[in-house]
Amino acid sequence: MSKQPARAAAASKRLAEDGDICPVCKSSRYLNSTMQFKINPACYHRMCDTCVERIFKRGNSTCPIAGCAKTLSWAKFRRATFEDLKIEREVDIRKTVMDVMNKKEEDFETLRDYNDYLEQVEEIAWNLILNIDVEATTGKLERWKQHQKAELDAGPPLASGKGATQRKASQSSKKKDEAETGFTFHGLKKRVAPVKEAPYDPWGGWSIAPQYYVLQDNYDVDWYKRIKTDVHHVAGGHSLQDYCSQALRDAFGGLGVFIEDEILARDTPSMDADVGTEHAVAAAMSGKDANMNVNMDDVF
Amino acid sequence: MTSSATADGGQDLAEQMNDAVREKFVMGGFLGEGTYAMVHKAHYRHDPSQVFAVKKIKLNAEYHNGIAPDAIREMQFLSELTHPNILKLIDVFSSKDQNLSFVLELAPRGDLEKLWKNKDITYTAADIKAWTNMLCQGIWFCHENFVLHRDIKGSNALIAADGTIKLADFGLARRFADPGTRMTTQMITRMYRPLELLYGCSHYGGTADMWSIGVVMAELVKRDWYLGSETDIQQVSVICEKFGTPTEETWPGVSALPYYVAPEKQNNMVGTTANRIARPRSWWRQEFMLLGDDGAEFIKGLLTLDPQKRFNSRRALEDKYWTNMPRPTKKENLPKEGGGEKAVGDDLKRKGGETPTNGRADKVARKLDFGAM
Repeated sequence: MSKQPARAAAASKRLAEDGDICPVCKSSRYLNSTMQFKINPACYHRMCDTCVERIFKRGNSTCPIAGCAKTLSWAKFRRATFEDLKIEREVDIRKTVMDVMNKKEEDFETLRDYNDYLEQVEEIAWNLILNIDVEATTGKLERWKQHQKAELDAGPPLASGKGATQRKASQSSKKKDEAETGFTFHGLKKRVAPVKEAPYDPWGGWSIAPQYYVLQDNYDVDWYKRIKTDVHHVAGGHSLQDYCSQALRDAFGGLGVFIEDEILARDTPSMDADVGTEHAVAAAMSGKDANMNVNMDDVF
Repeated sequence: MTSSATADGGQDLAEQMNDAVREKFVMGGFLGEGTYAMVHKAHYRHDPSQVFAVKKIKLNAEYHNGIAPDAIREMQFLSELTHPNILKLIDVFSSKDQNLSFVLELAPRGDLEKLWKNKDITYTAADIKAWTNMLCQGIWFCHENFVLHRDIKGSNALIAADGTIKLADFGLARRFADPGTRMTTQMITRMYRPLELLYGCSHYGGTADMWSIGVVMAELVKRDWYLGSETDIQQVSVICEKFGTPTEETWPGVSALPYYVAPEKQNNMVGTTANRIARPRSWWRQEFMLLGDDGAEFIKGLLTLDPQKRFNSRRALEDKYWTNMPRPTKKENLPKEGGGEKAVGDDLKRKGGETPTNGRADKVARKLDFGAM
């Protein structure tokens, strides 16, 4: 009589450990194949999702597992990734630590400094996993996070920022640093903010503005008035502004050419290449002249 | 002159200089051949790492006593204009059989038309913005120096090795006309020709080129031909159906243009679509959804029927579309087509006004008939 329940209790305990019986409502997966187990990262106690719905859906409540009085919220419940919940917890802790301690090797001056840093990070992680100095460690992590965030913001670097130049600062200031920023790491390079990209220039850096004259909006010339009202010119999109600009450029464009400077500039590159370009220019010029005098384009 | 002639076996100074230029280059592989030109690869004799494309103009039967006008135009304008978005003319020389050869920058990454046709390439609104901006910069520089390109199309926007768009083929280019000078309206490949040219207006300006840029941009968005047709008349009706028939209200003076037909007269001919009113802003946003609202406004500015209201090249570059999000892609990150050297040959051997003769363009392409004009 007394043996029977004891054996049953032992069996159910084993089943619960195996993960097939909900420790809260004792229902078994054997009877309910769609049953799912969930955990809350506040305490990592397992229970079936029916229990989660039942207890936590209406609002925060305390964990129903005996001996755990943590307040849990429904939104934080999730399915565990790992069978072993100790590993699940360790992975979560490492994730939060690595979010904050995210320096890379190139952020340090020497490999030795980087390795020291990694060791410190490992120590923080194990402190949190093994519940040693949890409050002090999380406080330091939080301060370091704030410090990093302040450094990322565009403003001027913090007065207490520790760069390579300040590494050999006095012990007292280093202590103060640590109080403010959580950690100090030997050989950590000062963060150099990336250069902000200049706004896009649709002109590609070119600008053509007349140097020797100012283009007016309107010119009063008699023969020109006829064109201005000519319906064919207006409807066809012929731009008188362009014509005036062209006429002025043709008239004054030469003022910007200083032959002596160009001769000096021309003498710098190798001379053998010049014969060809001169010829090409001459050829082009002859083509241009022909076009201007005969108005060859208008043959077509 | 005479002394040098005797010293160099009867060659005069011009011939000697021509030889000096020709000797600078070593001809390489054959890239392509068309009815108009043959394209070879070449490099400097003293520096083989610098590679060029040499476009050798074939002797034209129509101009056996001189140089064909499109060759002169190309030579004139390409050597005058130096801008990163305009194909650079390095040198010109003639060979022994008196064929003219242009040494041009090599643009080995195909062109914008091949790009949208290649369905293996995906690109985004930011890429289209970058390409259109480079195109606009090139044409702005042309217009700022009073050169009308008159043959802007996807296949004339070559892509250099670093992804920069290079405006090529100045065979139909000319200087801005003086007031009163008549220009031919049979310019610009038909699909890219603005309505004022189709209506026979011979006093057009820089805004004619801007229409072509608008069509190229629309093709990039649609990844298809945008305004295709087989005859000039059809082209007018295609444009009118798309954007609405212009009237005196929307385009002052349009009724005076030679080939303009008012919408009420068009009714009998083409059908009810002919007098469609101008499209509302919402239609533009719908049609060019990929570009976003400011992009739709921008292309609306380029594809405005009235050339006075259409963006000119300066106004186009001032648009807020460029500085708004998304930022135009950096040219090193632009998707590239590995068109290779074959494609370079294809691009350069074409004559102005021709579309490539493969695929769907076959029916749309039409040779410019200089003789008939």
